[in-house]
Amino acid sequence: MTGDKGNKLARALPRTPSNDKLGTKAKLDSGSQKRIGDQLRAMYDELMQQPVPDRFRELLDQLDRKKEGSQ
Amino acid sequence: MTPEPDLREALLAAVPGLRAFAISLSGQVDKADDLVQDTLLRALSNLHRFERGTNLNAWLFTILRNLFHSEYRKRRREIEDPDGSYAGRLKVQPEQGSHLDFEDFRTALFQLPSDQREALLLVGASGFSYEEAASICHCAVGTIKSRVNRARIRLAALLNVDDVDDLGPDSMTRAALQG
Repeated sequence: MTGDKGNKLARALPRTPSNDKLGTKAKLDSGSQKRIGDQLRAMYDELMQQPVPDRFRELLDQLDRKKEGSQ
Repeated sequence: MTPEPDLREALLAAVPGLRAFAISLSGQVDKADDLVQDTLLRALSNLHRFERGTNLNAWLFTILRNLFHSEYRKRRREIEDPDGSYAGRLKVQPEQGSHLDFEDFRTALFQLPSDQREALLLVGASGFSYEEAASICHCAVGTIKSRVNRARIRLAALLNVDDVDDLGPDSMTRAALQG
């Protein structure tokens, strides 16, 4: 009796997706994913809006002149 | 090769994105600016290799990432930190105008393994496609997707926004396992 019951469950088992490799297929729900994405972009936007240091503009200007002189 | 005015402008226009990526990778503004400078120098001396009409940003990000990793490997050897715990302790120095709101997020971001962090930054913040990010990181598209997914899950857990589906054994599975 009890053996039959066990077999039925055993046959059903492979159809449940989560019975091995616990957590490896975990996916965030869309709400959490959005919250993470929003925070990431907010942090990044702040970095993007910082003024470009003069050294980079100067670097490109200097190279213009140097290359004209040497090559 | 002299950069033409429009190319010079394009390089300048790419700087904010490169800086944001470099700061988020290295965790240090000074180091990031050195990295961006080296990237521009490298790009200028290799302009002949850049194919016009292709994605200048992706090309520059590839250079920056390569420079970061060769530098990072060197430093790791120097300080004998094979498990990267030093990198984990690095923190972004608060810049002028930066808000404390992001402090928790930054701290969590720097607890991610660097391969997951860079994948998330490229796809989630820099606006690259999975394909472009894979090309920048010299890996398969599936690898990038998996890194981004793991990064998000880890961040959610660290920031307590995790409503991750609990895939632990449910009661039916447990009943079955017990026979």
